[in-house]
Amino acid sequence: MKRNTFFRFASPSIIIMTLLMVIPLFMAIWLGMNYVTYNNITSPQFIGLENYKDVLDDPRFWQSFQFTGQYLLFVVPTTMLVGFTVAMLLDQVSKFTRGIYLSIFLLPFIIVPVVGTLMFKQLFEPSGLFTWLYQTILDTKFRYNENSVKTLIMLYGLWYIAPFALVTYFAGLQTLSKDQIEAASIDGATTWQKIRYIIIPHLRSLTILIMLMSIMDAYRVFDSVFVLSEMNPIYKADTMMTYTFQTAVTVQRLGKANAMAILTIVGIMIVLIPNLIQSYKQQVEER
Amino acid sequence: MEKIKNPIGRFFIHLSLILFAIYSIVPFMWTLLQSFKNLKDANSRTPKFIFTPTWDNYTDLWLREIPENGATIAYFLLLTVVLLISLLLVAKHLPIRDGYIYSFVFVGFVTLLWGIPQFIEVAKFYDYFINTLIITVGTVTVSLSIGALAGYGLARYAGMASVIVLIAALGFRALPRLAFVLPYYWIGSALNLLDTHLLVILTLVAVNQPFTIWMLRSFFMEIPGELEEAAMVDGCNRLTAFTKVIMPIMWPGIISTGLFSLLLAYNEFLLVRLLTQTNWTLPVAISRFTGGEDPRHLTLAAASAISATIPIMLVILFFQKNLVKGLTAGAVKG
Repeated sequence: MKRNTFFRFASPSIIIMTLLMVIPLFMAIWLGMNYVTYNNITSPQFIGLENYKDVLDDPRFWQSFQFTGQYLLFVVPTTMLVGFTVAMLLDQVSKFTRGIYLSIFLLPFIIVPVVGTLMFKQLFEPSGLFTWLYQTILDTKFRYNENSVKTLIMLYGLWYIAPFALVTYFAGLQTLSKDQIEAASIDGATTWQKIRYIIIPHLRSLTILIMLMSIMDAYRVFDSVFVLSEMNPIYKADTMMTYTFQTAVTVQRLGKANAMAILTIVGIMIVLIPNLIQSYKQQVEER
Repeated sequence: MEKIKNPIGRFFIHLSLILFAIYSIVPFMWTLLQSFKNLKDANSRTPKFIFTPTWDNYTDLWLREIPENGATIAYFLLLTVVLLISLLLVAKHLPIRDGYIYSFVFVGFVTLLWGIPQFIEVAKFYDYFINTLIITVGTVTVSLSIGALAGYGLARYAGMASVIVLIAALGFRALPRLAFVLPYYWIGSALNLLDTHLLVILTLVAVNQPFTIWMLRSFFMEIPGELEEAAMVDGCNRLTAFTKVIMPIMWPGIISTGLFSLLLAYNEFLLVRLLTQTNWTLPVAISRFTGGEDPRHLTLAAASAISATIPIMLVILFFQKNLVKGLTAGAVKG
């Protein structure tokens, strides 16, 4: 294909991405250096790096930063562990049963996140199933407080992200060569040795992919946290994204919110840039 | 892996899978139960599994007042929907061109959705449902049309420009949305486009575009290039080769990608919440039920959650294979 033909095919997509992603990103950088509220939305006032200073001095920003970290540290490893374990188990059953299990396991993935959060919340209502179980088993009352709201958010995160890891690992297991496993059995390898020396290395690139995807997804989690923290504002279960949103919409400090959004981008760059460099090398090699 | 033969081992495998299935399905099941309870049963401190089911929550949610011949209308609607869906299922075996049947079914659904409020007093929730449908269908159509062109170009052109577009798209796909979504609000209020479907659709298309072109590109790469080269020898140009030869065999890939665009548009909360004031979609409308000034919020919220989930479940029921294929498309090549 010639270069001109390529641009003819790709231009609609490139134009819309430039107009609605690249340019807004530069606007965000610019807005982040201005004092903007809804009163002076058309005539922002340039204040340089004041907004950034303001953000870095804001204790609530650091609180949300901390919870985002906590969320990541819980959701990412557990998602991968649960996904891998269930995929291994699923590999053991017959094809027909597999299909049924898979339909059920995919359910959390297709339910709208806001709705899924609401369903989780139904379980934890004073009349909910979980509250009743908690009371019956532990004989203490389940109460909403900062920790239980945060736990609820993290449990929902696991519930929602795990199907992706599960299906990806399961697909990876299907490409495993049978000969290798058989050869290992003939040589007398135990199940554990087969997992450790054949399966885990085979899934290595997939594991990196799942890890990157779930880090990025967990880092920008918004819907579930927003719904639960809007309901219980006193519990301060904000992540960086929801706090940024509230700064923009509730507190109406658009400039400061944009500065915060730029800071969150800088945060994810640590993971993103090595990944982009790697994909770049891979693409250049492949062409 | 070889299968474990030991019966105790097999018992534990199934036990763990069943436990995980219960864990995946319990929030949905519990909400489903709650949505059919009256307020007293729903608020009972010990969970009630046996109760007299009621449709009240659903009728309160969807209707302003219940029409006199409600049951007849409900049966008629159900019958029409079942007929249209079964027409879709048998389309392949009828002696009429598939395209005509699909367009007929589409027109049928649009007429039905447009006709309902003419006969029945529907509540606000119906409007939110229609908003969601318009935004979802609009986003999926535009995303796929421009995404397919770009995905094809990216799959066939090996120059540096293609690599740069791909890497930039990958970067934008990973960035937190909020960074470029906040300026949309600013653009929207400057252009007076806030609260319109157009702005939401355009921004959703842009936000989904990186993902769409990557996925479509991977499907286009599976189609050998010799195919359109042969067509071009026979007198097609690039565009006709693309529309006449490549697109007809791309349908599975298009459907897989379309499903993900559909889920993304149907699920979107942040963007719609920021850019609309009254023209909400279902996720935004439903998040309002969690506030709870209405004492009936518990059962109404349950009914709204189920109402928003059923359409997606129906779609996935038909296309589960494509969904799984899409989930693993980028993954296996890794």
